[in-house]
Amino acid sequence: MGFMSDDALTVKVSKDIEDLIPVFLANRKKEVETLRTALAAGDFEQLRQVGHRMRGVGHSYGFDRVSTLGKEIEDAARSGDKAALEGCIAAYSHYLSNLRVAYE
Amino acid sequence: MSDLAATGQGLAEQTVFRVLVVDDDVDMAAFLAKIIANEGLAAEMVHDGPAALAAVAAAAPDLVLLDVMLPCTSGFEVCRQLKSDPLTALIPVVLVTALEDHASRVRGIESGADDFLRKPVEPEELIARVKTLRRLHETRRELEARRLAAELEHKDAIHKALSRYVSPRLTERIVGAASGPAPFKAQAERADVVALFADLRGFTRITETVGVHTVVDMLNEYFSVITEAAYQHEGTIFNMAGDSLLVGFNVPFAQPDAPQRAWRTAMDMVSRFAPVSAEWRARHGVSTGVGIGLCRGEVIIGNVGSPHFMSYTIIGDTVNTAARLMQVAHADEVLLEATLYEAIRPLLPAERVEARGEVALRGKAEAVRVYSVRL
Repeated sequence: MGFMSDDALTVKVSKDIEDLIPVFLANRKKEVETLRTALAAGDFEQLRQVGHRMRGVGHSYGFDRVSTLGKEIEDAARSGDKAALEGCIAAYSHYLSNLRVAYE
Repeated sequence: MSDLAATGQGLAEQTVFRVLVVDDDVDMAAFLAKIIANEGLAAEMVHDGPAALAAVAAAAPDLVLLDVMLPCTSGFEVCRQLKSDPLTALIPVVLVTALEDHASRVRGIESGADDFLRKPVEPEELIARVKTLRRLHETRRELEARRLAAELEHKDAIHKALSRYVSPRLTERIVGAASGPAPFKAQAERADVVALFADLRGFTRITETVGVHTVVDMLNEYFSVITEAAYQHEGTIFNMAGDSLLVGFNVPFAQPDAPQRAWRTAMDMVSRFAPVSAEWRARHGVSTGVGIGLCRGEVIIGNVGSPHFMSYTIIGDTVNTAARLMQVAHADEVLLEATLYEAIRPLLPAERVEARGEVALRGKAEAVRVYSVRL
């Protein structure tokens, strides 16, 4: 899996919800920690639930990548695929550290 | 716990359309509330089922946006509870779900949901649905307000019509009765009643000595006190003519103590009129009092008259006898026929009772056994 281009890491968000974004992103970073802890504990049910939540909230805010990663995490948790989960969590962490938000 | 969206307006403000957002995901709830607030509506957020039910109970919102995947109590269950309570059943509920399967839609419909919104939520779709439901809700409210106003108007008309005949308490009882047999039946019927006829002794002298306006004022004063007495004991006023008043007991509602009520009414009429009579004597030099006839027996109850003028009244020998007794009663005297006398004997002041024996009354073939009580 190669690194994403700058354009792929730029998220266009409506100005209408601009003031919600800092809290939203802070919660996503906390989510990465929750996922890591759950994976270390082998808690697939919690991993599935977090993935499910990411899927619901990501698209709504305009962060489609959060939703697609959420779906992958949900599926991997269901099948108990630790390696896939590790990959998803790493990709999620990388995405959050490198994304840029453009309000329009 | 609940927090207000950044609209600066609480749910307590009645004029703003108020939306309760229920989602356990704080970011999702904040997002939905923000979209709603941006449209100038008020939004409150709660994050679980029990909190949603508590918020609705505390201040009913105009719409509930309800996530189905809630911890403890599911959105379906919250919806079902809201829709099964008559107080909250009309509040529109939009179920928000990330589930694509038809099964959850069916469950939502079964739980009474008014509409559905799928995650991810598109702001335009959310607003469109909220606006549609808002219009529907406002139409419902307007129709309900119109229906209530019409109902009140109807009740008020009945109230006004009835209050001409019966006491305010009895009017309330008739108007307030949601069901049950109609007290004023369309068809005539027979019933056992106590008829009380009262009139003003010395009225002829009044009309000869005082001016016409004063006569009317005096009559109004007289009728005020004696109708008050009738209402006090829940008698029904059937007729008011000249200076006489016909009151019925045990009609239209059963009054097992009708004889006692009639007697107390007679006493009250005399005692309430006494100060009025004293004042008239001082002011106009006239001697007045109330003469009362009481009779118990069968009457015909019904609406009597023509298509142009109709009167709910009682007719029959009992009413005629009470009228004749009233005609021969002196000021502050109550004349009773024997069966009524027997029924209320223990209540009567023995020293003032006088048996008049068989009395021939005008218009009656047989003599009537009469008792007199001077008050």
